Amino acid sequence: MTQELRLPWDEDPDDLYEHAPCGYLTTLPDGTIVRVNQTFLTWTGYTRGELVGHRRFRDLLSSGGQIYHETHYAPLLRMQDEVHELAFDVVCADGRQLPTLVNSTLGRDEAKQPRAIRTMIFNATERRQYETELLLARRIAEASERRVQVLQKIVADLSAAPTEAEVAESVVRAPEAAFGAASSSIYLVDAERDQIVAVASTDPTTGNWDDMPRSSPRAVARVAERGDLHVVGSITEAKQHFPDLVDSMRRSGRNTVVLLPLTTGPTDEHAGILTLGVLAFSFKGEHKLSDGELRVVRLLGQQAGQALDRARLYDDVRRREERSQFLAETTGALDEVYRLEPRIRRLLDRLVPEIADWAEVRLQVGAVPIEETKGSPAPDPELLQKRLGKVAASGEAIFPVEDDVLDCSVLPLTARGLVLGTLALRMAPDRRDAAAERVFLGDLADRAGLALENARLYEQERQIARTLQRSLLAGDLPSGDNRFAVETFYQAAAQDLEVGGDWYDAFLITVDKLAVVVGDVVGRGIDAATTMGQLRSAVRALASNEDGPARLIESLDRFCERVESARMATVAYAEIDLNTGEMAYCCAGHLPPLLQEPAGSPEFLMHARSAPIGSRAGDISRKEHRRRLTAGSRMLLYTDGLIERRSRPIDKGFEILAREYARRRDAPLPGLAAGLADTLVGKDHADDVCMLCLTLGTEERIERTIGADRMQIALLRADLRGWLVAHGVGAECRDAVLLACSEAVANAIEHGYRDDPFGMIDVVATVTADAVEVRVTDRGTWRGPLADVSRGRGLQLIRESMDQVLFDRSDGTTVTMRRSRGEDDE
Amino acid sequence: MTDQWVRFSKFGDAELVSLTGEIDLANAPDIGKAIVKRIQSAGKVLIDLTTVSFLDSAGVRLLDALVGDLSDHGTPTRLVVGERGAARMTLQLCAFREDVLATDLDRAAADLSG
Repeated sequence: MTQELRLPWDEDPDDLYEHAPCGYLTTLPDGTIVRVNQTFLTWTGYTRGELVGHRRFRDLLSSGGQIYHETHYAPLLRMQDEVHELAFDVVCADGRQLPTLVNSTLGRDEAKQPRAIRTMIFNATERRQYETELLLARRIAEASERRVQVLQKIVADLSAAPTEAEVAESVVRAPEAAFGAASSSIYLVDAERDQIVAVASTDPTTGNWDDMPRSSPRAVARVAERGDLHVVGSITEAKQHFPDLVDSMRRSGRNTVVLLPLTTGPTDEHAGILTLGVLAFSFKGEHKLSDGELRVVRLLGQQAGQALDRARLYDDVRRREERSQFLAETTGALDEVYRLEPRIRRLLDRLVPEIADWAEVRLQVGAVPIEETKGSPAPDPELLQKRLGKVAASGEAIFPVEDDVLDCSVLPLTARGLVLGTLALRMAPDRRDAAAERVFLGDLADRAGLALENARLYEQERQIARTLQRSLLAGDLPSGDNRFAVETFYQAAAQDLEVGGDWYDAFLITVDKLAVVVGDVVGRGIDAATTMGQLRSAVRALASNEDGPARLIESLDRFCERVESARMATVAYAEIDLNTGEMAYCCAGHLPPLLQEPAGSPEFLMHARSAPIGSRAGDISRKEHRRRLTAGSRMLLYTDGLIERRSRPIDKGFEILAREYARRRDAPLPGLAAGLADTLVGKDHADDVCMLCLTLGTEERIERTIGADRMQIALLRADLRGWLVAHGVGAECRDAVLLACSEAVANAIEHGYRDDPFGMIDVVATVTADAVEVRVTDRGTWRGPLADVSRGRGLQLIRESMDQVLFDRSDGTTVTMRRSRGEDDE
Repeated sequence: MTDQWVRFSKFGDAELVSLTGEIDLANAPDIGKAIVKRIQSAGKVLIDLTTVSFLDSAGVRLLDALVGDLSDHGTPTRLVVGERGAARMTLQLCAFREDVLATDLDRAAADLSG
């Protein structure tokens, strides 16, 4: 038998029941309370009398508890005879609810009929509270985690968004995902235009979603200015603070609107913080935002603001890069063309359409102002004229203001402190407006001004140099002496280069001694042209009957001690005795003259060569070479532009020149040089070409071959005329021979070679003491008698103007014509 | 393009066409076009050939066509050629209508007014 444990104090069973640490209820099977302990009464505030016999257990439960009692407690108890740890809220005497846990047992009698229910009630106040807190905490944690996730995603999106538009697009999605907002809109601050611009919205139909000035009294503008989060909790609040929201809140059933400024930093440090935009989002019904939510909202505002700031900086950097690249490219593009008008055109091409949809340059230079435009439509001319006048007078740019009818920026084009003209432009619609581009446009106008001024100076210098060169080259060349004829040719470089220093000259030292010279001064432009003029004069002054070419070149060597710019000029110089045909020549660094004698091949004159004028390193012991030229010889002096081409070696150039020259041995002297230039260099030549061709002595017999080209007839006539004059043929006979010869050649072209543009026509003329005979031969086809009235007239003219005319049509056509020399022979 | 050979002016109330230099197959067609363009509505026409240094059959054809058209339209016309010279020679060799030729401008103008 175990010994009973002895308690330290006497345990009274009644007291134990009454003051047990839990409540006891004994009820009838229908729940009517028949016994209750003091602990329960103390907890609930009821008196024993109020409960016993008067109330059922279920009467003490909250309404939810009562239902639970019926659906769970009672059935379970009946089935199992006991229930455990059911949670009920007991409604206390003062209406307070007491959370409890309840255990009950059902006692039965011998007949197994329910007899009584014993219920034990534990006070679960603390435990319930704990559970509720636990649940709430979990809910908060979950919401916060969701928000954090949404925010993290947004932050990730933001950091990847390179432009303001993309930032806006990411931010505007946030409130729905993070806070369950019904819709949201984002506005950006455009500081330059002083505007708040609506850029994105999840539901553009709610609210007054449009742009507004920064000074607007509207809620968005006010919040943007204050830089503080503002929550409009109800329509009543909206009425009080931001009446502009009331209508749209009503219309779209919103009761809560959050206006979040997007700022560059934490909202508690106001200094230096910029509001870059406003995010507005709203909730259906009144929605109280928890402190946690508000913290996240603020965080979102900062993150978005910083992303906007970053995007704006990116935008700025990119724009600045674009602009500086544009400026650099423009300067480069302008430098590529030298002359003024092409440069202006180039400038306009750069501006329109990339920057502007219309642009105009006006320059007040020279006698006639230059005005060039590009793009359309042209602005109002009167308004423009006024603005141009103002800018030209003040030298200050004018940019369009808001709602400017003219909408054109006008900038002065200045260089060296002078206003040269104006640049007017209207920005392309997709560009930022002119006010925002002030600095850029100013920069552009400065560069353009300088480039155009340089082009103007270039133009001026070029004009002077050209005039100078032309006046020097056009000097009177000797003619009218039938012992020689000179043909010259000058062709400036096709590309817009400055004038070169090439020159030719021919002059009589004495009545019987002719000097010819071709030279090339180093460099280009006005200096080269001036030097060329000085050298030309020097040659004329230094040439003498006694000294000869070598002494003359030596004198030029001394000359360039004084005129430094003449140093390294090259010169080919020859003196010809017109009576004996003896020539003396000297080449100072210049290309060798090319001689074609009546018989044989052309020959480059390679003797008497030495270094250019004033050369320090070259051989300047000047030599000269003499040779006798037979009558009918032709000598060509030329500059390197004729034979030098980048695409072929120089010896090839010499070869082609000799071949082409030989091919033209019978061509008329007039036009010979031009023909050579055409064949050797073409139109697209990079250098100046200068030639002098001298024909010596009078041929007894003139033989010429020309192409079937009507333009050649005049050249042949000029040659023939000179030859007739040289032989003293009188004017009447001369005119008649020229007419008959022209008609015969025209006939060959128009008739014999009507189908063959490459046919050649031979002309041979001889003169005797009493007559002139001309023979014109073509190898064309003859097709029956002449039907053409005009050609008929040509034949009539031949017959009328000549004494004898003979047609031979055995192989092509040969017309032989003869006319007696008249009495007016010279 | 043809400016070096042809110039237009007024002589009294007549349109004066002054030709100069060498007129031949190569330039006559263009010169003709330039003249026709200019004198279409002229009341009187003087064509001065005194400084023409050469005239071929193409030139004669041009003058022939001009004079023909002008007289068809009833426009009084005179060609001024010197007493001698290339143009006179060619025109004479072609037996050009003597009645439209004159030796100086004043006389030609007087002819037209008379």
